[in-house]
Amino acid sequence: MAHQQGMDSALFERRLRPVYDNLEVGNNRKALQESEKLLRKHPNLLCARALKGLSLLRLGRYEESHSCLQVVAEEKPVDDSTLQVLSFCYREMEQLHKIVELYQHAVKQNPGNEELLAHLFVSHVRVEDYKAQQAVALQLYKAQPKNAYYFWSVISVVFQGIRGPESAIPEKRKLYLALAQRMVDKHIKEGKLETEQEAFLYLHILKLQNKYQEAWEFLTGELCAKLYPGAPVSMKFELLKELGNWKELNELLQQLLEADRDRWDYYKEYLTSCFELLKKTSSDEGTENYTLTTCHDFLLHIIQSSERKTRGPYLARLELHQRMRANQLPAQQLVGDFDQLIIEYFLLFGDKSCCTHDIALFLPSISMEQRQALAGRLLVESGISSTTLPQNKEHMQKHICALQISRMCGVHIELSVDHLLALYTALKLHYEHGYSSFGKQLLSTEMGPSDPYALLAANVMYDISMREQKSDQLFEALCLLQYVLRNSTSNFHVKLLSLKIYHMFGCMLGAQEMYDYLDIKQIQLDSMGYVHCNLLPLSGRFSGVRNCYDSTLKFFTNSYKERLEYIALTYRFCTFSKMEEFMNFKERLTNSLLYVACSVEAQLCDLVSCYGNVQQNLTSYVAMTIEPADDRIAWNELSDNRDLEAIIRWDPLHLVDAEAERKESYDQEIEVLQLRSLLLRLFASFIDLYHAPPSAKLALSNAKTITPAPAEDTATLELLRESWTGLHQRLRLMNYKPLSQRFLVNLQPTRLHLLLELPYERFFDDLAQLVLDLYTGASQLALQCKRVSENVACVMEICVQTITESNEWNGVDGLWKRRTHQQKVAACLEILSLYAFLLSVLNDKLQTSTKTKTKKKSSGDNKSQGTPHPISEKERSQMLQELMRQLKHKLEACDAALRIWKAPTLPRDLSSFMADMSLKPEVEATLIGDVSATFKESHELMVTELRNLLKDKIRIVGK
Amino acid sequence: MTTLRPFTCDDLFKFNNVNFDPLTETYGLSFYTQYLAKWPEYFQLAESPSEHIMGYIMGKVEGHLDNWHGHVTALTVSPDYRRLGLAALLMNFLEDISEKKRAYFVDLFVRKSNKVAINMYTNLGYIIYRTILEYYSGDQDEDAYDMRKALSRDVNKKSVIPYTQPVRLEDIDMN
Repeated sequence: MAHQQGMDSALFERRLRPVYDNLEVGNNRKALQESEKLLRKHPNLLCARALKGLSLLRLGRYEESHSCLQVVAEEKPVDDSTLQVLSFCYREMEQLHKIVELYQHAVKQNPGNEELLAHLFVSHVRVEDYKAQQAVALQLYKAQPKNAYYFWSVISVVFQGIRGPESAIPEKRKLYLALAQRMVDKHIKEGKLETEQEAFLYLHILKLQNKYQEAWEFLTGELCAKLYPGAPVSMKFELLKELGNWKELNELLQQLLEADRDRWDYYKEYLTSCFELLKKTSSDEGTENYTLTTCHDFLLHIIQSSERKTRGPYLARLELHQRMRANQLPAQQLVGDFDQLIIEYFLLFGDKSCCTHDIALFLPSISMEQRQALAGRLLVESGISSTTLPQNKEHMQKHICALQISRMCGVHIELSVDHLLALYTALKLHYEHGYSSFGKQLLSTEMGPSDPYALLAANVMYDISMREQKSDQLFEALCLLQYVLRNSTSNFHVKLLSLKIYHMFGCMLGAQEMYDYLDIKQIQLDSMGYVHCNLLPLSGRFSGVRNCYDSTLKFFTNSYKERLEYIALTYRFCTFSKMEEFMNFKERLTNSLLYVACSVEAQLCDLVSCYGNVQQNLTSYVAMTIEPADDRIAWNELSDNRDLEAIIRWDPLHLVDAEAERKESYDQEIEVLQLRSLLLRLFASFIDLYHAPPSAKLALSNAKTITPAPAEDTATLELLRESWTGLHQRLRLMNYKPLSQRFLVNLQPTRLHLLLELPYERFFDDLAQLVLDLYTGASQLALQCKRVSENVACVMEICVQTITESNEWNGVDGLWKRRTHQQKVAACLEILSLYAFLLSVLNDKLQTSTKTKTKKKSSGDNKSQGTPHPISEKERSQMLQELMRQLKHKLEACDAALRIWKAPTLPRDLSSFMADMSLKPEVEATLIGDVSATFKESHELMVTELRNLLKDKIRIVGK
Repeated sequence: MTTLRPFTCDDLFKFNNVNFDPLTETYGLSFYTQYLAKWPEYFQLAESPSEHIMGYIMGKVEGHLDNWHGHVTALTVSPDYRRLGLAALLMNFLEDISEKKRAYFVDLFVRKSNKVAINMYTNLGYIIYRTILEYYSGDQDEDAYDMRKALSRDVNKKSVIPYTQPVRLEDIDMN
């Protein structure tokens, strides 16, 4: 048959074309029609059937798709196009093992077929079955003796030793690695080593076995020089270090540094080698004496003989000083006075913006007193005082550097509020002076040279705001930043800080503007999602934030789909040096905490804001395929991909522990995710009890649909409810502290405390009982109804009270508590909206069942044998109606409160804000006008959206 | 003061302070992974002593016979680390690896309006080899300069005899 198909393949290809074309453009319905048309004429055309399966899959008709594909698979196809389509479908459905089977069959029928074997190999790569990979690679090599195939088998052996299931057993690991080495040795002997990646792999295998001497000999040998001329010199460092050959390393680095005088990696290794030589001198008597004078002389020689001043040798000298002090060696005696060295460095390189980062490297090694004294001296050296202004850009940059360092040394936090205000004014003036003197002729892609003054000013204003617990100063900082942004449209630091402040003030619209302005896309959506996307849940909007979730999730789902193809690519190009890196990257990306959290929040958001009738809402619910019984989150694999360093900071070094801050916030975010995903599953179990999941969901997992026994159908719900209360209990015991908000750049607090403070736990716990009682008609139903309505009243009261409080705060400070208030209101409305959705479903179910007397009732009867008679369905329905009526009432009360929720009053008299600036009055007016309008509009958008949400909930419970 | 090292997948999570620059494009993942998988040694990163990413270069080697050449796909330096000769360092690295791979020349495309970059490349020994019409698409299409520098293998500097006529992208034999 294969042969026959081959003859007509051109013809069939032409016939299949329209199906492919339609699939390509996403016209799945048309693709389905075309494939069916083709199948009527050629019922045995497997590829057409496979394409039909794919079209059905794309249309979401899983059951039909499944059986269609099954038929094709059972035919054990061998032609490439059918196999491609099938494996595409299986990839889409994440049934990767089926691809393996598919190609195994095909290979069996065509032994030695290179192409099929290669596909089989890649199918093993996808499931990380290294042993099978090895076997297939060898078959491939037999069929076609290409080096690539040989080395596919070598790397597969290596992976069995270091990543496979047996890698944990040391003896096995040793055996595999030895085997891999023998395989390459044999190839070398036969003169068959050809590429640099093969040479790399050999070196890698030797290193994995700690055979450093052999690796060194190979690396410095003729063959490697020929095949791998670009071998990174760092490999030599690594091996010489392992071999303890410090002398040779030292000489090699001196040579390299003579030629390349600005390489930090070289200097670091060089200094290490010097200290090791020193150690050796003091321990063995026999060796020649080494002193650090040689090292120091070498650095001085580099400094003196360089025509162009590079930072390298100067930084190396500071590093030498620092390391000597760490080893209790007389640094000052040999290298000189540390402060003097720093000042010298500052005078030479202070006009480069990286100077601050450079000096900061060495600050932790000196005392607080010394730091502050040094900071003072740098300011003096910068030559700017209260009466002088910078003469040129370079001069200004030096001043900026000195100011940044003084903040890092903790000088600012010791100032009084008055002094801080004076500092702010000075910074603002310096910004304005720098802008008008040196910043006017910039390209639109350049940052303003005086912008850093404004960034510092914003940090200082935050300090004051925190001390006074008032928003005025921070709001002024926001206006200043917005002003800077007009002059320097590409300064992303300004955008990031503005985004941060808008979020602190609960101004979603401003935050969204800044986020859009940053043009965050692709992988940045993951690493930078923490500045915006992760702050959106419960921020005050529901449907309004869905777009941001969507674009983020789209990136993740696409990457997830393609994650294995990247790895396949490294095999295709035989890039052995990157394979492990790619595999680890895949894990990191697909297990991103943001990915999982964002998916859960998007689902909750959809459940809160579904706007249809009951049937439509249930259909969207089913499409979400939430499996309450199944916790699909790989908790131990979750990964923190945030790029926290993207936001620049100069906060006092002794008060900042970035790693601890990261860990703390990450731990809390995980707990938040626990709460949210459990809420989602618990809620889904309520719905599923009444609206059993359709068989399609089960069919996908290949299980035959069995109607659950009456005791089992509530088991999931009961289990989840237990986890729900258990989780809350644990979290209360853990007693997490809110994240520190001491500095502007600190991470925003997580939602953990909000979720624990609001009555989520009790509400959904009691609701669970209500759902159960309603299901069985238990006698305490009336009591439970009362309890739930009390909870509803309580949530409503929190909502109303929060709004009242927010309005009252407007008289004192309209922004300070804004975000907290909005979060509380949003959380209350989330709870009530979910409840409304549930009631509408329950009501729908009970009404239909009272009308059409189902069999369910009798099963309920059996269960309650021996207990008092269950409450009749009619009565249950009435109680439900009553709950709906009460809810409607409370929702109306919330709506009334929302209606009078006032937009935040902005601090102070805005017109005097920028009086000190050389702003034209009209610029000032539009600037402040724009910022104020953003706050107002943001509030109005939020209120409108929330009221629409309520209106809709009132509708669905009002019927 | 720089550490040069190969760009790794993990750096994709950390390169924001470089990629927020308006002239630096953030591509789809498959673009980066393709370069990393195919030309790993052509994707290098410069790191500061404080372990910040200062900039990176992304390139490839391709072409047949005497058109075998290194190509610079992207070169970017973070605003905080400009005017330190970093771009030159990264370019040298790419030229050096292309020498080792016995390439005849290195080339790159640059926006005709990007005076700063053109100036820098000229200082590094690149000449404007030809103009490519409407190479950059956008709100307003923009021409590119194809700039080249001959390597030692091209003894007679055949690869850098400029074209006087502008060409269109579709007319160029990229290989």
